[in-house]
Amino acid sequence: MSDVDILQVTTFVVIVLIVAAWYLSYAAARLDRLHAKAEGAMSALDAQLVRRAEATLELANSGALDPATALLLADAATESVERTTEHPLAEDLLDGQHFGGREEVESALSEVLSVTLTDDVVTRLRADGDELVDESLDRIASSALRVRMARRFHNDAVREVRRVRGKWVVRVFRLAGHAALPERVEFDDDLPSALAR
Amino acid sequence: MRIGIVCPYSWDVPGGVQFHVRDLAEVFIGQGHDVSVLAPADEDSDLPSYLTSCGRAVPVRYNGSVARLTFGPVTSARVTRWLETGGFDVVHLHEPVTPSVSLMALWAAEEPVVATFHTSTVRSRAMHAANPLLRPSLEKIRARIAVSEDAARTVRRHLGGDTYIIPNGVHVDAFDVAPRRPGWTGTPDAPTLAFLGRVDEPRKGLGVALAALPAVLDVHPRARLLVAGPGEADDLLKRVEPRVAAATVVLGAVSDADKASLLRSVDAYLAPHLGGESFGIVLVEAMAAGAPVVASDLSAFVAVLDGGRVGVTFEAGSAAALGEAVVGLLADPARREHLSREGRDRARTFDWSRVSGQVMAVYETVLEGAHAELAEPPRGLWSRFVRSVPGTGGS
Repeated sequence: MSDVDILQVTTFVVIVLIVAAWYLSYAAARLDRLHAKAEGAMSALDAQLVRRAEATLELANSGALDPATALLLADAATESVERTTEHPLAEDLLDGQHFGGREEVESALSEVLSVTLTDDVVTRLRADGDELVDESLDRIASSALRVRMARRFHNDAVREVRRVRGKWVVRVFRLAGHAALPERVEFDDDLPSALAR
Repeated sequence: MRIGIVCPYSWDVPGGVQFHVRDLAEVFIGQGHDVSVLAPADEDSDLPSYLTSCGRAVPVRYNGSVARLTFGPVTSARVTRWLETGGFDVVHLHEPVTPSVSLMALWAAEEPVVATFHTSTVRSRAMHAANPLLRPSLEKIRARIAVSEDAARTVRRHLGGDTYIIPNGVHVDAFDVAPRRPGWTGTPDAPTLAFLGRVDEPRKGLGVALAALPAVLDVHPRARLLVAGPGEADDLLKRVEPRVAAATVVLGAVSDADKASLLRSVDAYLAPHLGGESFGIVLVEAMAAGAPVVASDLSAFVAVLDGGRVGVTFEAGSAAALGEAVVGLLADPARREHLSREGRDRARTFDWSRVSGQVMAVYETVLEGAHAELAEPPRGLWSRFVRSVPGTGGS
């Protein structure tokens, strides 16, 4: 009689342990995928920001703009390019997805783009028919649009990571390992209205 | 790019989501992309070559109305086969929380997933029930698109988080060049007004338009209201004044070409909807055709009209306000001319050339992120067992 009881209890305990182990691994794998998604979204955002800064520099150096405008654009774009090269993203990713304090620099570039590339200026630049200028305007427009998208997708992924990491199972069993908590990236990413169409 | 698009509603039945998917697929095919659409459809009917049917749709009560959806093991197997043979770079799901084929595809997909939310139903029990059963699958979505601020608000309320807003598209040029019909064209003493939409669905507001007509007929006795759309109007017309019934011309369901001609011909297009609209594609079509728009002040409509700037809005449901707005507009040809010009301009924002470009930008952004992730294949039996839970995106 007591033999059967011990067998039953052992079986029960083993089953519970297997289920618990499976659930923990499952939760860890799910969190891992969410982290990967957030990292991927961050690197997409980064790539578009670099593209935007490079295209802006190209336009500034094209000679099609007046020197004051060109200098403003070049200044803001150089700042952005320098910040990316000084703080390579790989490093940020390793120590947990921080944007490296670039928010202000990128906001500044958005602002300068909006102030300088007004509807009139863009219409005039387009009318000149310079192929290189046209191309850099197109590249600024397309990368700025993708920056907007990538930032939202990234922030949405961050929200999901943070929600899952708030669960008690994840906290008690430290399923997140050493991965730092990702953070939302907030900066002004408005497109100049002339480039928004 | 190889794109797989999933539409949850029956392809045989006309509807906003179906038209959106059809146009999007055709625009991308025109640009040289490889597109396959998966949707419920009657296999005996004439289907486009890019469409794969996942079975016949069944009418079911769902979220307060009857929807034609597919579900069950056979459909599920077809979805899996479509994904396996498709080899898609990106899978674009429409209405992913509708219990139909989009949800199944979300469950099964291993490809990067983009999802578009169309509804703005306040009482969206489906989205609410989605917690927490569907949470892990929803986490597979890398980019969430909403068709309007209203749809985005619904997503935020039920699922939380942000969406990127990309409006529905319209082939603006098709409306701009449609020929005018003499029978539908208004004259100064016999102006014409248009109503489009199901006539027997109270939400579309034909009742409001008919109730507003006496005020218009007092000033313009020879005015006519042209009603285009499927459904039986007899019941409604029996209950109105004889002169209103006489001034109402019921055209029935019309072809796309006739719809464009109708909007090109009339002096004003009326959108007296009472609610439940998340976008308002007909308003864009009317603007593209150059018809001045008189619309109820639903937030989705006001947004399409650029804050009400490119149309006349009135309090939703108020026949008196609609009558007053129409009489005012008919008395002011300069304003009609102005609205027509501004509306044409505004409609350009919704042209497929622009809308498809934005959708493609979403695909590219998502792919860039997906490629940046370290591809780490699961090692060992246990790891595979853990990761292969259906609906969680394991591979």
